[in-house]
Amino acid sequence: MSSELLITLPALNEAKNLPEVLSTLRESWPQAALLVVDDASTDATAAVARAHGALVATLPFRLGYGGAVQAGIKYGLRRSFKVVVTFDADGQHDPADVGPLVEAVRGGADLAIGSRALAPESYRGGIARRWGRSLFAFLARVLTGLRLTDPTSGLKALGPRGQALFALSRFPDRYPDADALVLARRARLTITERPARMRPSRNRHSMHGGIGSVAYGFNMLFSLFVAATGRDLHRKE
Amino acid sequence: MPTRQIVVFLILVLVLFVAILELARRRVLRVEYSWLWIASCLTTVLLILRYDLLIKLTDFVGGVLPTSTLFFLCILYLALLCLHYSIRISALTHQVKDLAQEVALLRLGLGNPEALPAATPPAVGIEAAH
Repeated sequence: MSSELLITLPALNEAKNLPEVLSTLRESWPQAALLVVDDASTDATAAVARAHGALVATLPFRLGYGGAVQAGIKYGLRRSFKVVVTFDADGQHDPADVGPLVEAVRGGADLAIGSRALAPESYRGGIARRWGRSLFAFLARVLTGLRLTDPTSGLKALGPRGQALFALSRFPDRYPDADALVLARRARLTITERPARMRPSRNRHSMHGGIGSVAYGFNMLFSLFVAATGRDLHRKE
Repeated sequence: MPTRQIVVFLILVLVLFVAILELARRRVLRVEYSWLWIASCLTTVLLILRYDLLIKLTDFVGGVLPTSTLFFLCILYLALLCLHYSIRISALTHQVKDLAQEVALLRLGLGNPEALPAATPPAVGIEAAH
């Protein structure tokens, strides 16, 4: 197995979407290792992923999106992959957008983010989500001077330094969004963005869906504050 | 305070105290939690035997009735105890998450030993914050 590129997909009950997602990824990236992190699904997610040639790491109970993503990143870090890409299993990301992100990391970036805002034809979600994204992008800029257009994107490519940061025990694991990027900035990682077209999620129960927006907004605001002003994440580990 | 009250309360505290010691001896209650309970027992004994201290404290904080001072202190104590447990739960949440992820990675390694990840991450120099 090449230890160049790992594509990790956090998956919760994605047995229906995985075949197509994994096949298209495999077509575009025949050399890459594919890892599905099964977030304690109750359907055949793990079996389907295995049948389509992916490695499967099954969590013993549900950790949520952030915890599942982090498990995949930990795997990539410990297997010394040069690039780890996080890719949603619900079919909203396009394998064609992975290439530029991987190139950005190979070119020296620690963290490359697929941005809907840079892809004019991309689906961008409802008005509340768009406003939320702009607000968090604005706050991240005020707090750290970081200019990013899509802080909530789940499509990311991470170099070894990015992986090491995202794998820390105390890294925000609920929804690693704008707060994660603020931390990356504070850790002096090189961060860049590439356009990414996203489709509406095909799974109503996708891991991003169903969260109370108000609760999410409050948590993210507070998490941003902690990320921007908090102590060294290495402490007390 | 009437002698009857003093005796009743002292007996209650003694029962609690023995229960805590016994729980610690049976390893049901961890030692680092026992001292907290022992300290509360001792404080209660002190206030039972030296009621005048409570009255002085009430005067000091500007309270009217010693009982309200006592209730206030109890509530404050319980609130701090809850905060302490929240901190513990936060730490435990991180640990449980890490363990769950570890289990997932080890399960992956059981199926295909060649895909087993290293036990520890490689040293990559990052400053987690400045």
